Amino acid sequence: MSSHRTASGGLIDRGHSLRFSFDGESMTGQAGDTLASALIANGVKLVGRSFKYHRPRGIFTAGSEEPNALVELRSGGRREPNTRATTIELFDGLEATSQNRWPSLKHDFLSINQLASPIFVAGFYYKTFMWPAKLWESFYEPMIRRAAGLGRAAETADPDHYEKAWAHCDVVIAGSGPAGLTAALAAGRAGARVILCEEDFVLGGRLNADGGEIDGKPAREWVAAAEAELRGMPDVRIMTRTTLTGVFDGGVYSALERVNDHVAVPPEHQPRQRLWRIVAKRAVVAAGALERPIAFSGNDTPGVMLASAVRTYVNRFAALPAKRLVLFTNNDDGWKTVDAVLSAGGQVAAVVDARPAVSDAHRALAGKGQFAILHGGIVDVSGGAGGVRRVKAALTGGAVAEVEADGVAVSGGWNPAVGLTSYHRGRPAWREDIAAFVPGALPPGMIVAGSANGAFSLGACLREGFAAGSQAAADAGHGAAAGNVPAAADEPYSLAPMWHVKGKHKAFVDFQNDVTVSDVALAQREGFESVEHLKRYTTLGMATDQGKTSNVVGLAVMAELTGKGIAETGTTIYRPPYVPTAIGALAGHHRDENFHSVRLPHSHHWAEEQGAVFVDTGLWKRAQWYPKKGEKDWLESVTREVKAVRSGVGFCDVSTLGKIDVRGPDAGAFLDRVYINTFSTLGVGKARYGIMLREDGIVYDDGTTSRLAEDHYFLTTTTAKAGLVMQHLEFCRQVLFPELDVQLATVTDQWAQFSIAGPKTRDLLRELVDPSEDLSNEGFPFMAAREVLLRGGLKARLFRISFSGEMAFEISVPGRYGDAMARNLMIAGKAFGVTPYGTEALGVMRIEKGHVAGPELNGTTTAGDLGLGKMMSTKKDYIGRAMAGREALVAPDRQVVVGVKPVDKGRRLRSGAHLLPKDASPSPQTDQGYVTSVCYSPMLEQWIGLGLVARGRERHGEIVTAYDPLRSETYEVELCDNVFYDPEGGRQRG
Amino acid sequence: MADFSWTPVSPLQAALKPGRLGEKSGPAGLKLTELTGFSLMQVQARRGRWAETEAAAQGLFGVSAPANPAAVEGSGATLVWSGPQQFLALFPAGYGADWEKRLADAFAGSASLSDQTGGRAMIRIQGARARDMLAKVCSVDLHPRAFATGAAAATSVDHTGVNLWRRADDAEGAVFDLIVFSTFAGSLWHTLVDHAAEFGVEAGRHPA
Repeated sequence: MSSHRTASGGLIDRGHSLRFSFDGESMTGQAGDTLASALIANGVKLVGRSFKYHRPRGIFTAGSEEPNALVELRSGGRREPNTRATTIELFDGLEATSQNRWPSLKHDFLSINQLASPIFVAGFYYKTFMWPAKLWESFYEPMIRRAAGLGRAAETADPDHYEKAWAHCDVVIAGSGPAGLTAALAAGRAGARVILCEEDFVLGGRLNADGGEIDGKPAREWVAAAEAELRGMPDVRIMTRTTLTGVFDGGVYSALERVNDHVAVPPEHQPRQRLWRIVAKRAVVAAGALERPIAFSGNDTPGVMLASAVRTYVNRFAALPAKRLVLFTNNDDGWKTVDAVLSAGGQVAAVVDARPAVSDAHRALAGKGQFAILHGGIVDVSGGAGGVRRVKAALTGGAVAEVEADGVAVSGGWNPAVGLTSYHRGRPAWREDIAAFVPGALPPGMIVAGSANGAFSLGACLREGFAAGSQAAADAGHGAAAGNVPAAADEPYSLAPMWHVKGKHKAFVDFQNDVTVSDVALAQREGFESVEHLKRYTTLGMATDQGKTSNVVGLAVMAELTGKGIAETGTTIYRPPYVPTAIGALAGHHRDENFHSVRLPHSHHWAEEQGAVFVDTGLWKRAQWYPKKGEKDWLESVTREVKAVRSGVGFCDVSTLGKIDVRGPDAGAFLDRVYINTFSTLGVGKARYGIMLREDGIVYDDGTTSRLAEDHYFLTTTTAKAGLVMQHLEFCRQVLFPELDVQLATVTDQWAQFSIAGPKTRDLLRELVDPSEDLSNEGFPFMAAREVLLRGGLKARLFRISFSGEMAFEISVPGRYGDAMARNLMIAGKAFGVTPYGTEALGVMRIEKGHVAGPELNGTTTAGDLGLGKMMSTKKDYIGRAMAGREALVAPDRQVVVGVKPVDKGRRLRSGAHLLPKDASPSPQTDQGYVTSVCYSPMLEQWIGLGLVARGRERHGEIVTAYDPLRSETYEVELCDNVFYDPEGGRQRG
Repeated sequence: MADFSWTPVSPLQAALKPGRLGEKSGPAGLKLTELTGFSLMQVQARRGRWAETEAAAQGLFGVSAPANPAAVEGSGATLVWSGPQQFLALFPAGYGADWEKRLADAFAGSASLSDQTGGRAMIRIQGARARDMLAKVCSVDLHPRAFATGAAAATSVDHTGVNLWRRADDAEGAVFDLIVFSTFAGSLWHTLVDHAAEFGVEAGRHPA
């Protein structure tokens, strides 16, 4: 057994040894150990260097409140900085490394910072690095970052997987100590659905460290029986290694489950951590209390530890933190440590009690343990990296005593863990009798029980827990709990508040941030009296422990300095999460290829077979172009596709457009109100281009809508706005126009839709469509829409609409036939050189035709700006009509759509370039607009673009300056008509 | 001029690899099955015509259309609530033109119909760990007390909109059916398999 392991006792498995390493040194611990307890059992005192002064530090607590014992855990991509040795369950092969030291923990070069410590006081950075300001980024900050700080993040991606999950229950309980367990028993017996969250890997809370008797049985036996009973209840879920971390609106709680932090590598398919969102009708907070220290000179020497932590290590982990201990306490609870140490074979060198007198029982204990009781306080600790060597105490009356010791246990009393109770901004209330903050106004549905409520005796914890569980179950609609409240003694807790002892050296309040009593005093002298200012000025209470051991001491010191009471001084605001939560856990499954869901058009797998290059368009993957062997770049492929369409025939999957069935007797009237143009007059079998405005008169979306039956329109939207337009239309239907009898159904996924374009489109369709269908210009004129029969017996919808400016149709079939349609279009068009084309070619052809799209429908343009003002009906009302008439929206100098051509035909255009009068120097005053869309036009054999330019339509032929500050380019362009290709439109009608 | 063949392709054709997925040891904790061959009609009552819509449904399927989130087994079809005064009529064995006409006739004047057969995929999630997997991707409380047999929800699974309902348990445990927009189906399938992997999955495909 290791040097500081006791011969018997504890909840460790002595038959199961685990190998681990700390700073490369191999050691052995037992199953049931934490890293901290295993280090203690191996006699390790020094585990880290402090944040600012690089002072040697040891293990201070035995829980998640640990400020000092932060290590880097694991290595490579799994390296995790700032993990608390006190919460890491030991596993075989565990690797831990100390932090913030160089070259080694024992010989840390930057510990010379301690010599300069008089200047590293609160506000040091603010005061020291102010001038010259330009040195901040280049010099000061990098220097400070090297010197201060804690662990290093991993340099490669985390190979592990995290996930999130929901849980629902009647009663969620935080903590499985005596109060949590009785609450669970009471609620479970009443029939409630219960979730019991325990941060630790065993149930029992302080019962595992302090024992005691419950119903005449040893506490551990009672815990085992309670756990067995709870595990027998099908609707009680016990979640160990799970911390309740937050309280949100509507009875939602967050909890972090460390599913596989206790193994070296998670088993395949299992997450490392799981972030739970728990929806509960009621919550019982039985999160216990945290012991607080007393600040004194040298109180950060390795070997100084909270008294309750000493008991945890001795009783639960069978590890002696010190062989000869001094106890410094101001209350009866601290005295339990004496029993624990003596029973484990340790020595007590002395008890320093801040109170003027102790009980007879304690005096008897001193006789038995042969140690002195010193009434007073510790004023200095000698020692260093090797730990405590000697303790000096100032006694009431003026004498000084010195004691040889290798450890100090300190207890300044207990603070209820009020964090969870304060996340809805309820301020904790000060209770003078226990000198501690207790929960104030609670979040809705929450009950607090036991030590978390300031009820510190075991008997009270059991009573409050049982009552809380019963109450919570009843509130959630269940009956009374069966059984009696387990009984235990109500041990006394007499306390004389003491926060710090005056001494010659640094007395630390916040170990993690190196904040001392004198820093608090300095903050007060410099006017940072409010606790929130104190926190920001000194960093008291920040970082991984969030001041769990330091906040109350810090504000008590401040209260003393200002002469205000502690109640009046108050606490800082508590915010979730209660314990540090990895970003990985917050992201869960949503990383890399799972960052968001992906939508695939029905022809996607066919396009993949063709070797298409895909582009992300919102959630969609769309074929961007289809490269052919030998093509050197995208431009060559896209140019080929455009030429193939304009000279023959091509097709493109346009299924991503939003599609909505608008049905009902009032469908036409409804569309008249949402579009600027009229649809009620559209004949059955006809399609029409429509524009919708926002209420403010700006264009919202566009698309073609076809009337397929008297009471059925088929409306299309842009890809980007599909969901938003559906929402907008539902709002119009349900809220604005409830009197209209109209129904909306999204059918985007129902129809696989393809645009077929080019002069040979009709030839292709004649192959595909049943010969009985008349596809002639008379039988199927421009803007006609109807159902047709295809060869092979499938029915399709055919729309004669064109975005490319060519003779074109769109054909749609039910989604499951989309793949077959792509394949059959290739077969039907083979003789005509059919060419599949992607979104790039689609974009090129729309710019050649001067059609507006997303870059022009950009939330700033009116129908008039887009050259579509004539579509605005004057004979009816529609959404946006009134506001579209505002002076500013009809002003003659608005920026409107024009075409843009470079004066130098060989020059490439770039969108985003600003347009100024020729030779004007760029300024906000000379800025007249900008280029919105550009492409290389295979038909014009030059770059062309669209732009929004003030009075643009009156300025065709004018040469203006394009100014592109992003690319440092200035060149001349000519404004022109936006239709570059086939301005008469003969091709699409032919 | 040869006739063209029109072979329907499932939206899960590429994503679904039948067989054992995820954890290989022990019995599979759940089964994920694509159900194929169904037809689906969205039925939305016209303004003020819910009573007539219900009556038409009663006449066709012998059951009341669901007025609340529920899935009702009728003759030949399952009626799944999809919103106020609307439901999805799911025909597991599909319907032909005759059924389309029967539906159109029965609901003429009382409801608007939209065929959604091509727009959805259907996935059955069943087994001892079905609820544990769904808890990772769905915020609905699926405990038997909260989500009884026949309960339905229009909700989201991992941010993707679905209709989810509970069928009668089988010997291995709970059985849930969901339908999802077909262009999201592959992505959703991967999400379900990923979250089910730790329990072991038996993936398959069969006619609804």
